Amino acid sequence: MKKINAKNVNVSYGSKQALFDINIDIEQNEVTALIGPSGCGKSTFLRCLNRMNDVIDICKVTGEIFINDFNILDKKCDVVRLREKIGMVFQKPNPFPKTIYENIAYGPTIHGMTQSKEEMDEVVELSLKKAALWNEVKDRLHEVGTGLSGGQQQRLCIARAISVSPEVILMDEPCSALDPIATAQIEELIDELKNEHTIIIVTHSMAQAARVSQNTGFFHLGNLIEFGSTDKIFKNPENQKTQDYITGRFG
Amino acid sequence: MNRKEIFLKKRYNSEKRFKLYGKLAISFALIFLCIFLYKIFSTGFSAFQKTLIKVDVTYNSELLFLDENPSLDDIKNADYYDLALETMANLDLNADEDQQNELKRMVSYIFDTEIKNHLLKNPDLLGKTSSVLLTASDDLDQIFKGNYPRDIPEDLRRVSDYQLTVYDKLIKDEKIISKFNFSFFTRADSREAELAGIASAVVGSFFTILVCLFISFPVAVLAAIYLEEFAPKNKITDFIEVNINNLAAVPSIVFGLLGLGILLAVFHLPRSTSLVGGITLSLMTLPTIIIAARASLKAVPPSIREAALAMGASRMQTTMHHTVPLSMPGTLSGTIIGLAQALGETAPLILIGMVAFINTIPMSPMDPSASLPVQVYLWAESAERGFVEKVSACIMVLLGFLILMNLLAQIVRHKFETKWS
Amino acid sequence: MNSNSPHTVKSYEEELKNLNNNIVKMGVLCEEALRKSIITLVTNNSEQAHEIINNDQEIDKYENLIEQQVVNLIALRQPLAIDLRETVTALKISSDLERIGDLAKNIAKRSLLISGNLSKNLVGILNALSENVQKQLKSVIDSYLERSSSIALNVWESDEKIDDLTNQCMQETINFLKEDQNNLKNGTHLLFVAKNLERMGDHTTNVAEQVYFLVKGEYLEGDRPKHSEIGK
Repeated sequence: MKKINAKNVNVSYGSKQALFDINIDIEQNEVTALIGPSGCGKSTFLRCLNRMNDVIDICKVTGEIFINDFNILDKKCDVVRLREKIGMVFQKPNPFPKTIYENIAYGPTIHGMTQSKEEMDEVVELSLKKAALWNEVKDRLHEVGTGLSGGQQQRLCIARAISVSPEVILMDEPCSALDPIATAQIEELIDELKNEHTIIIVTHSMAQAARVSQNTGFFHLGNLIEFGSTDKIFKNPENQKTQDYITGRFG
Repeated sequence: MNRKEIFLKKRYNSEKRFKLYGKLAISFALIFLCIFLYKIFSTGFSAFQKTLIKVDVTYNSELLFLDENPSLDDIKNADYYDLALETMANLDLNADEDQQNELKRMVSYIFDTEIKNHLLKNPDLLGKTSSVLLTASDDLDQIFKGNYPRDIPEDLRRVSDYQLTVYDKLIKDEKIISKFNFSFFTRADSREAELAGIASAVVGSFFTILVCLFISFPVAVLAAIYLEEFAPKNKITDFIEVNINNLAAVPSIVFGLLGLGILLAVFHLPRSTSLVGGITLSLMTLPTIIIAARASLKAVPPSIREAALAMGASRMQTTMHHTVPLSMPGTLSGTIIGLAQALGETAPLILIGMVAFINTIPMSPMDPSASLPVQVYLWAESAERGFVEKVSACIMVLLGFLILMNLLAQIVRHKFETKWS
Repeated sequence: MNSNSPHTVKSYEEELKNLNNNIVKMGVLCEEALRKSIITLVTNNSEQAHEIINNDQEIDKYENLIEQQVVNLIALRQPLAIDLRETVTALKISSDLERIGDLAKNIAKRSLLISGNLSKNLVGILNALSENVQKQLKSVIDSYLERSSSIALNVWESDEKIDDLTNQCMQETINFLKEDQNNLKNGTHLLFVAKNLERMGDHTTNVAEQVYFLVKGEYLEGDRPKHSEIGK
């Protein structure tokens, strides 16, 4: 089932166009990886999906992106409501310099999702359990989140993202700052999370894209060059540029 | 040796030289600081000592024109001047009228009040004799502290030969006592050096800084938050930014003129009050705090803003829940440093009339008051030898406050600031 | 190489080229062994037979070398897409070539056991069969060298010719057996030789399948064309 459907998305920063006519269909409850060289527009596209580009004054987005058949680029779309539905995890773990509990309680609090302290406790516990972090931090929920290790911090950020039960989770190179073990834990987590969420991950590691995703899109110079099932892309890509990129032949 | 080795040796030598220059510069600065501190402390420390003369006072009801069993009010309202004169004259029973006058000048002019206060504290002393400590005159005080030479001709001295004989006799009888000078901290300014204190200046400075804080902090913080977090980046905001930086470089005396020209001339606010002083100084502190606040807002990593925004927080929530609290330690320490600057500022206060002689302790920012740096200026202008040590003492107090505030700023910064790895 | 531009990492490029060269060298050695083995069989040259048997060790060495190279590439370079196919097919092709080498060695061994001259008929059919296999093997190595799926497909489709010739060869051998009881030993060996040549043809088509996958990225689907069966 299609979860996200982008049609002719163009993005420009001032006079510089960053994305050209992107058309993409993203499947529900699957992991979609976006790969490509630096500056190819993959992160820009990711940020269109929760309208994080709004923060940048000179950034202009045109086209249509339908999520659940609702155009999120429409002026009528409320960004706050959108970001409640579309969570995001960033490249560098960025927990708030507050306690672990507060980090996770923040989303449900600002969206008024809980009525009582007990309910909040439940949300926090559930989110941490889903992020496979509960056992490691259950005895120190009221210690600062920035005191955790890098991998734990990133899982805390994932827990924070899923605390508001988003339908889609966007991940922008979530493992680039982590060691292989922490990376493996996050990848395992992504595998788990896809049962309940649709996940779109931007990654520089082709191996990671191959390991975690079902579908892969290759971006180059602002164009979506090829989009298809991950095993097809990595075994036998159709486009020569894709082939050159994933085999390390870019010159 | 080949060229490379020679080159390497040169490099090491120049590095060594550079280190040496650095050390020289630091020692140069340290030497000046030491000389300055030594000068201040050596002249100033004696101001914290006060010379007192112990005299026996017979609280004679007749001299006080009191009935038998007078009420406390009667005691309070009685005239003690004659009693005081009598007491001083008793120091030398053979003194003629001129000499009695000289005896009177050996103590401060509030000697009658001191005698009265002693009685008020112990009302049952009426009719009895008790020894009372009277503040010595500034000249005698300076003789006692060794600041006046005694071996010069009498007409060059401020203390007569007669006073010196009495003084020597009192010394022999151990009637001259030196005590910690509490009144320096509790009394307002005075024309008499022995009575002059910094209370008015301290309270005045306190009110000034308070007014300055209450005006500049909220204004500056709001301005900084708006400029940093909400304002669009365009030519207008660039222009404002440049001008804020310019404002920080404007000489303080210009702000004084502004205070004089607008606050006093247009708004007719009361002259030489902490209120006007505080408002004037807040204009000066404003850019300092804005710059500090903006710098610490900038220091909050964008990833935190992104994290909050991505959770669905509005821009306002992001700013108020995350950015501003995280920037607060930096802002606060900047504020404290700005206030410390304001505390030491003299020129603008002189222009708005805080240079006036104020011998009362202000009770509110609306009362005329002195301030610490202006007090230094005032005393430095005075001719009497007794004020020299007061100047240094006042500087010491001012320096103490400044060091305290800077220390506080450091503590706030290091203790509460979040470290971003 | 199929791709126009070389790898950014030159040593990776070198390693892949090296692997490629080794496959080709191994293929050439197999061709040589096959060609010589049939000549040996026909001419009864025992010296050459021993040479072939010894040379097979070199083919085995190449197989080992290629296997090591493939394992190294997978472990250290994590090849993807065309490089992945290159690596994986190299492994499979080398094992097929090694089997071809073994079968040639087996023919050479049998040639030592065959005594006396063979009939002209038999020699003719044997030569025809072996030439066909040689041609197939050469084509498939060319297809690998040129990354040509069409040549590979051609090889794959031409295998039935070998099957036909094998059947003819067997029929001829059976006739040879029927002629004289003394032919029993020679005839049996010749049956195996025919069978060996047929197996070589099969391995060649396996290689063709691999080349096709290498170039196209997809597998040749369905059964190989085959109308004749043994003994028909």
